[in-house]
Amino acid sequence: MKRREFLKSLPFAAAALAALETGSLAGLVSSPVHTNLLRPPGAVPEGMFASRCIRCGRCVEVCPYRSIVPGDVLSAGFNAGTPLIKVTDVPCYLCMKCVEVCPTGTLRHIAQADTRMGLAVIDRYACMTWKENSMMLCRTCYNVCPFKEKAIKLDQLRPVIVNEYCTGCGICVHGCPVTLANGKKAVNVEPVYAFRVKPVESER
Amino acid sequence: MKKSGLKWRSLRLLSLFLAFLLIAAAPVLNSRFHFSFVQGWYQSISVGALWFVSPLEGLESILTSRMLYAPLIVGMTIPLVIAFLLGRVFCAWVCPVSFLSEITDWCVRLLTRRKYRTSRISLPRRIFWAVLPLELCLAMTVGVPIFVFLSPPGLIGREIMMAVMFKTLAVEGVVVLAVIVMHLFTPRFFCRYLCPLGSLLGVAGSRRRLYVQLETECCMECGLCARACPLGLEPEQGDTLSAYCWNCGECVDACGAGALGFRWRAVGLDAGSLKHGPKKMDEGTLSPGPGGSKDETIN
Repeated sequence: MKRREFLKSLPFAAAALAALETGSLAGLVSSPVHTNLLRPPGAVPEGMFASRCIRCGRCVEVCPYRSIVPGDVLSAGFNAGTPLIKVTDVPCYLCMKCVEVCPTGTLRHIAQADTRMGLAVIDRYACMTWKENSMMLCRTCYNVCPFKEKAIKLDQLRPVIVNEYCTGCGICVHGCPVTLANGKKAVNVEPVYAFRVKPVESER
Repeated sequence: MKKSGLKWRSLRLLSLFLAFLLIAAAPVLNSRFHFSFVQGWYQSISVGALWFVSPLEGLESILTSRMLYAPLIVGMTIPLVIAFLLGRVFCAWVCPVSFLSEITDWCVRLLTRRKYRTSRISLPRRIFWAVLPLELCLAMTVGVPIFVFLSPPGLIGREIMMAVMFKTLAVEGVVVLAVIVMHLFTPRFFCRYLCPLGSLLGVAGSRRRLYVQLETECCMECGLCARACPLGLEPEQGDTLSAYCWNCGECVDACGAGALGFRWRAVGLDAGSLKHGPKKMDEGTLSPGPGGSKDETIN
């Protein structure tokens, strides 16, 4: 009888273990990339980033602005050591040195203007210029944008992102004077391309 | 000890020191002076346009991403060729874990004045060949390379870079600490039993050209070589011909009778046929080279 009970309980134990495993594994393997926390330029899609990157840290070492920081095992799990750019701290200035040193092709050679680290999105409820009844005319993001008049334009003196040209470098995020309670800015870079399999061009 | 007996050891310590200096200087040169001629550490290192990639890290990346990238394979080639010809020399002559272990040994010697250390914990030596396939299987199961962010040689480089560039240390550094603590119990515990990179290089170098040869007629069976071996091998039993030996030359220095010496074979070493004592070699002793290079034979 004892053996039978034991054998009966086996599938449940296995299922529980599997659930636990997949749950914890998913947490460990899941990408640390989210709003304002991006991959360096030319990164392969996030689905294969962690498996391809060998964490050699050469992109971190070569970055003259120290924008790229290796992830930590506590916050990034199996993504520990992979390069991340927290644009609220130091944005990417698109010097394109990191793509030249990557030995694994995880960061691919790419032109400055073709970089798509993410897409800047203006929070019109937080932006000083867009907010209702606001008397401010801030255009810091417009001023600091490396692709001024292309990636950020002014529409009746209010900043507007042009999706086709935004590289997601995060310089506008870094410059934005508004910081919300949750740490976000009035303009944030969303890593929309990192989780996309198809290249952006084919969708148009 | 004989004066000439210290030669391989001092050469090796110099090599370890320079190798450590390289990875300690690279982050400073890169971040302070934007001098990126030398870059990286022993996961991937570049000197100018010459790029090296650690073979295990590269292999893991290829296996988990299931993608071939030519520059990666080219970068892995030189370390593999070196391992193929010279054996696990990376472990003994370059690896920063070896450097830290030597530093630890030096501190222990200062404190305890004991010349030789015994192995307090010993495991079956064959574990060494199991860790590589196990590690690769685990990485492929998880879908993410594992050795790349937990490898002690790589972590030492990363911690140096973190300290230099961000004035902080990564948590993973505890792995290095654990390796050093285990080294206090058993010399080179991690290198002996658990290092998958050493295992891969050992497999690659199992038919190496450079090896330590025992001249049985000179051997007095004093056992000094076995005590000197950091890996706990017994050169008198022909262990220097096995794939475990990493050609550090400690036994060559320790031997008072001159029975041990580095040899170079034109044909790959066949561990099976050379198990016991020297057979007839194609080329035995090479005359000492002019530049003091490694094919010189010193007894």
